[in-house]
Amino acid sequence: MTAKTRLRDVAKVIRSKNAGPLLLTIDVIFDDRETFDAVLAAGLFAPRRFAALYGVSDNEVAVIPYPQALAVKVTLPRLHRSGGPADTDVYGAQQHAPVLDLEF
Amino acid sequence: MRLMACSGMVGYGFTEDAFRRGLGLGVEMIGCDAGSMDPGPYYLGTATPFVSEMATRRDLRIMLEGARAAGVPMIVGSAGGGGSDAQLAWTRRLIEEIAGEAGLSFRMAVIGAEPDRDFLTERVLAGKTAPLGPIQPLTAGTVGEAARIVAMMGVEPLQAALDGGAEVIVAGRCSDAAIYAALPLMRGHDAGLAWHLGKIVECGAQVIEPRVGQDCIVGTIGDGYFEVEPGHQDKRCTRTRVAAHTLYENPSPSELKEPSGVLDSSDAVFEQVDERTVRVSGSRFHPADRYTVKLEGVRREGVRTVFVAGVRDPVLIGQFEDFARSCRERAGNDVAALGISPDSYRINLRVYGGSAVMGEREPDAGADPNELCVVADVIADDETASRAVLAKVRYSMLHTDFPGRLCISGNLAFPFSPSDMAVGEVFDFSVWHTVELDDPLGPFPIEMMEVR
Repeated sequence: MTAKTRLRDVAKVIRSKNAGPLLLTIDVIFDDRETFDAVLAAGLFAPRRFAALYGVSDNEVAVIPYPQALAVKVTLPRLHRSGGPADTDVYGAQQHAPVLDLEF
Repeated sequence: MRLMACSGMVGYGFTEDAFRRGLGLGVEMIGCDAGSMDPGPYYLGTATPFVSEMATRRDLRIMLEGARAAGVPMIVGSAGGGGSDAQLAWTRRLIEEIAGEAGLSFRMAVIGAEPDRDFLTERVLAGKTAPLGPIQPLTAGTVGEAARIVAMMGVEPLQAALDGGAEVIVAGRCSDAAIYAALPLMRGHDAGLAWHLGKIVECGAQVIEPRVGQDCIVGTIGDGYFEVEPGHQDKRCTRTRVAAHTLYENPSPSELKEPSGVLDSSDAVFEQVDERTVRVSGSRFHPADRYTVKLEGVRREGVRTVFVAGVRDPVLIGQFEDFARSCRERAGNDVAALGISPDSYRINLRVYGGSAVMGEREPDAGADPNELCVVADVIADDETASRAVLAKVRYSMLHTDFPGRLCISGNLAFPFSPSDMAVGEVFDFSVWHTVELDDPLGPFPIEMMEVR
C-alpha cells in the first residue's frame, strides 16, 4: 500500500459506547481477515495513538483485538461520568469520530 | 435445554409471532432484562423507569400469559430499570394487576437488591469493596450521601427462588446474563456455555437480522455447545452479529466479569449452522476466589434548568468564546446580587457547532459554522435558585455588547416561549464498585407469594 488509507474506508463498523458510566469503548469491526490483519500490522491500534487522540495517558488505554469477530476493541476513560453534571454524551455513542480518519 | 429471551428490555417490545413460535419450540424458561444504567444516573436517582408503563404492561402481559400457558418459569431482572426497591414495587404492582385482569394465578418471588446502608458501610470499613474502573475508592461518606445504591445479584438468588417453587421471578438489579444462566447451571450445564449464552441473548434482537426493532431470541444449550436462533421465522442470527455482540458494552471483548467468576470467550468458536442459527463452543468460565457483586449508586447534584437558543450573527459567532466568558462573568455578578452563593450553582454553556459533543477531546476545531446552538445549563440546589440563575444567564447573553456588535436588539434566537425549561434533578454515579459477599444471597431478600 503506498497511498494512505483511512480507517473509515476499510472498516465495516466504527462505534463508540459506554462500558459502564466510567469507560468509553470503541469497537472497530472489519469485513475480512486480510484487512483486519493489515490494519493491526500497520500499528494503527497502538495505545499511544488513541491516548493522543483522546487526551489520556497510554496506560489508561486498553487495546484488545478479538479475531473471532474480526474486531478490535479500544477502552479508555470517559471525559465525564455518564449522565453526570458535565457530561456531553450520556450513551457515549458519538465519541468515535476521531477514529474515522486514522490513516495507515 | 432451551430458553427464550423475549426482548432486550421489558417495554422495548417483541412480535407476538416470534413469541408464540419460540414458545412452541419447547423452551423451558422465558426471561427478559428490564434494566440498564445506560440512560444515566437520573433513573436510579429518582427510582423511575425509562420505558413507559403502557409498553411495560403490554410486554409483561404477553410474557405472563405465555409462561403460564406453557407452564415454564419466567424471570424478569433489574425490574423497573434500576432494580431499586421502588422500581421493583412498580413492576410487582403491574404484574399483580395483569394477573388479576387475565385471571392468572402463580407462585411469585420478588427479590430485592437495595442493600442496607449499615451493611455496606461495614463492608467498606472491612476493606471488602473495590473500584470498578477509574473512580475513587468507596468510603463510608460516599455510601452515606448516596441517593440510592443497588447491588447486582448473580444467579444464586434466582436459583434459590426457583428451588422454592417460584413460577414467576421479579428481581431487582440483576446481572443480565444471570437471568438466562440460572436454570442451565442448576441443570448442570457447563458454566462457560451457560454464561456466554446468557450474555448473547440478554440484548434480544441485537444479534438478529434484519435489525427491525426488538424481538425474541431462542437459545439451546447442549453438550459442549449452545445455539441461538431468532424466535421469528423470517429473521436470522448471523455469525458476525453473534460474535460482535460478545464485544458489546463491555470493556473487554473476551472477559466478562460475573459475581462468581469470569466468562472467557477468547477461544470461543462461532459457526453458522444454517441460515438462521449460530452455534458457539469453546467458551470457558473461571470461578473467582471471592464472590463479589457490583454496586451502583448515585449522588444528587442539584436541579437543572436549561434554555435552547440559536446564534446566526457571524460577527458574534466569530468571537463566541470570549463573548460567553464575559456573559458568565456578568451573570455571576447579577446572581450574587440575589444573595445566591457562587458555590451553590454551576453554569455550563453547551455550544453546538462549537465542540459541545466532544468538549476538550474535539480534534477538529474547523471553520466557523453559519449558526450555533447554545444550550445554557444551570444546576443549583433547588428549582427556584436554578431558574433564577438561568434567567440572569439568559438576560446577559441576550443583551451583552461585543466588539463590532450591530445586532443591538438581541444576540439570541429563542425557538420557544417559555424559553426556560425545568429538566429535573441531576445525579452523578458516585458508586461503581464491587463488594465482596460471604453469602451470595445476603443483600438480596427473597419474598415468596401466591398471586391469584
